Amino acid sequence: MLLTLAGVLFFIVALAPLLVTVLEVDGEDIADLFDPRTLALLGRTLWMGLAVAVGAILVGAPYGFFVARTNIPGAEFFRVAGMLPLLMPSLMIAMTWAVILPDLRGATATILMLVLATFPLVSLFCARAFERIDARQEEAALLVGGWRAVLRADLALVFPAILTGAALAFTFAVNDFAVPDYVSSVGPKFNVYADEIKLNWDQLERPGKPVATAIPMILLALVTLVPALRMRRAGAMSSLAGDFKAPATIQLGKGARVAATLFCIAVLACGAFIPLCRLFYEGSGLPAAFREGTASFAGAIATFQKECGTALEQARNNLRASMLFSLGAALIAVPIGAVLGHAIERSRSRVRASVVESLTLLPIAAPAILFGIGTITLWNRDVTAGFYDSQAMPLVLFVGRYVAFATLLASGAVAMLDPKLEEAATLSGAGPIARFVHIVVPALKGTWIGAFVLVFVFTMRDLDAAIIVPAANKMVMMRVFNGVHFGRDSYVACLSLLVVFATVMPGLLWTLFARKRLEVLP
Amino acid sequence: MSFAPAIQLEGLAIEAEKKRLLGPVDLSIASGEYVLVVGPSGSGKTTLLRAIAGLSVPAQGSIKLDDQLVSSPGKLSVPPQDRGVGMLFQGAALWPHLSVRKTLAFVLKPRKFAGSELNARIEELLDAVELSGFEDRMPGTLSGGERQRLALARALATEPRFLLMDEPLGPLDAELRSNLLERIERLHLDQEWTTLHVTHDPQPVRSIASREIRIENGQLVENPAEVTE
Repeated sequence: MLLTLAGVLFFIVALAPLLVTVLEVDGEDIADLFDPRTLALLGRTLWMGLAVAVGAILVGAPYGFFVARTNIPGAEFFRVAGMLPLLMPSLMIAMTWAVILPDLRGATATILMLVLATFPLVSLFCARAFERIDARQEEAALLVGGWRAVLRADLALVFPAILTGAALAFTFAVNDFAVPDYVSSVGPKFNVYADEIKLNWDQLERPGKPVATAIPMILLALVTLVPALRMRRAGAMSSLAGDFKAPATIQLGKGARVAATLFCIAVLACGAFIPLCRLFYEGSGLPAAFREGTASFAGAIATFQKECGTALEQARNNLRASMLFSLGAALIAVPIGAVLGHAIERSRSRVRASVVESLTLLPIAAPAILFGIGTITLWNRDVTAGFYDSQAMPLVLFVGRYVAFATLLASGAVAMLDPKLEEAATLSGAGPIARFVHIVVPALKGTWIGAFVLVFVFTMRDLDAAIIVPAANKMVMMRVFNGVHFGRDSYVACLSLLVVFATVMPGLLWTLFARKRLEVLP
Repeated sequence: MSFAPAIQLEGLAIEAEKKRLLGPVDLSIASGEYVLVVGPSGSGKTTLLRAIAGLSVPAQGSIKLDDQLVSSPGKLSVPPQDRGVGMLFQGAALWPHLSVRKTLAFVLKPRKFAGSELNARIEELLDAVELSGFEDRMPGTLSGGERQRLALARALATEPRFLLMDEPLGPLDAELRSNLLERIERLHLDQEWTTLHVTHDPQPVRSIASREIRIENGQLVENPAEVTE
């Protein structure tokens, strides 16, 4: 019953918006895919996505390794803080660096900004994989061939995880609309595929065109994500035995330790601290104060307080709407994802599980803009007009868009849960609901918290889907987006900082009160 | 005079991902027997128990418990929880988030135990496995022997007719092994269970077993004689 309910809800909020758009596509829309301009855009977006994925590996893999396995000072801090660039909307990273380095525009800027925004995906997966290598496997490798053998053995084990992170970075990059749009607003134009989908949507006379345009992106993302996730699952499970022994911390030499620490500081500075400091600098009115020669610390703090107050006053409703929608989306998406993820992992038929998992990935693989278009197409009808205009519409949009993350986290976590625990409950007479509620749910508490925080964060920072659906236009990120395009000032900077604070708050609260690290990955 | 066996497997074969794990196996076990199942690792011993418990579905053949068809190819006619089977899993498979009391309550509550009756039954079960006083302990704080005894109490709580044990003595030292075995034997006789005990080390169990069967490469090497009285 639970599974049927979750399946029906998933279909309505996550799959139906995509299916309904396909009905709009006609032969002419498909034919347009092959015009030279579209093909050139596709090629450009593809290499941009690949460049971002490679960049994310180059930055994220060493970062993940250093924080998870080496003796660099403050490894735990770097590990937690390394999530910040992922928690911050990518637009904020772009808008701060675009001011710090005004000549950095176009393709290079897009790639660099997206690498900074997505490297935590690789570092997260990489760190988790490194700490799940059984100590005895490393010791065995050490005995047979020294550190070189350890490296060879370890790389084979963490490679699937790195690839999964890179596949997600690729998908995020090719579907990102806001960053290329912003860094191209001045200087050389760098159009990407997501821009094209939005552009085609704006041409209202051909509703099938943006959908057709998005099809290659969806296929590309699926081709990347499905094998990567499958490899990661196999890799993660193979490295976890019942009597798992945690691997030892690798003691780096003095020089290597300093270099590794500086690397982590530099990455974190570029991805989070410099953008945050720049926002504070702008929010405290210092650019104008320096120009006028009136800069002072006390003045900066006073201006910052005042501007934060103004931002809070003016955007209070938007901030509240964003937080409520994010909270609601997380509260709804996590139970649906938990039930579906459990069903995927415990299905007797691997074929059926693979099909369901691939369907689960569709909302992530589809460009956010297309998902927004689908939601409008599905619900903007006479019979559902009341619902379409209501506050429930953004909830439906964001649950549909992000329930896939909760499902994937759940299936990964269930894969780590000994099936015998559930079998013992079965033999004890517990039915499917009792087993799920009393055995699976309590055993994976950390996963549900992680999934909740992830859906909350992604909804808070969403811009690409929210920009399409009118009912979601009151999200605070829309105000930031409009602000940076139409008169950037200290108000926009303070509002951005408030958004970052509100976004990281659930994770921060968990860390403070639970007094343990939030484990997003199983 | 010939009686219907308590457990009867006819041509039973189990497959996973198109790979044959067990069988075809023909086996009859009489009511009240204590059967020792031995064989090398990966030979199909655990698969046999899981099939009888209804935790895996046969690819071929059938399983009858007390003359009732419970499994046939691709189908479980009787779900695991309704087979009257208690099982001790390898590694105990205790629920890490439930205390000793809550573990037993989890099993008993759906069986209509509540209030003082529930508490009395929990005490009775803990007494039977000598775990009285451990009610509020979490599984993670129990020793190997205590964990196995809790697993035994959990199986006992379902009032099974069949007890299936998968390497229950595995992690225990000689003294604990002997204590647990003594307790299992007593319960086997008192409760009139039909018991299957999987082990790779049969020596300590031979004295209480009524029969020993051997599985190698998914096949029954020594097929026991027909069950008769």
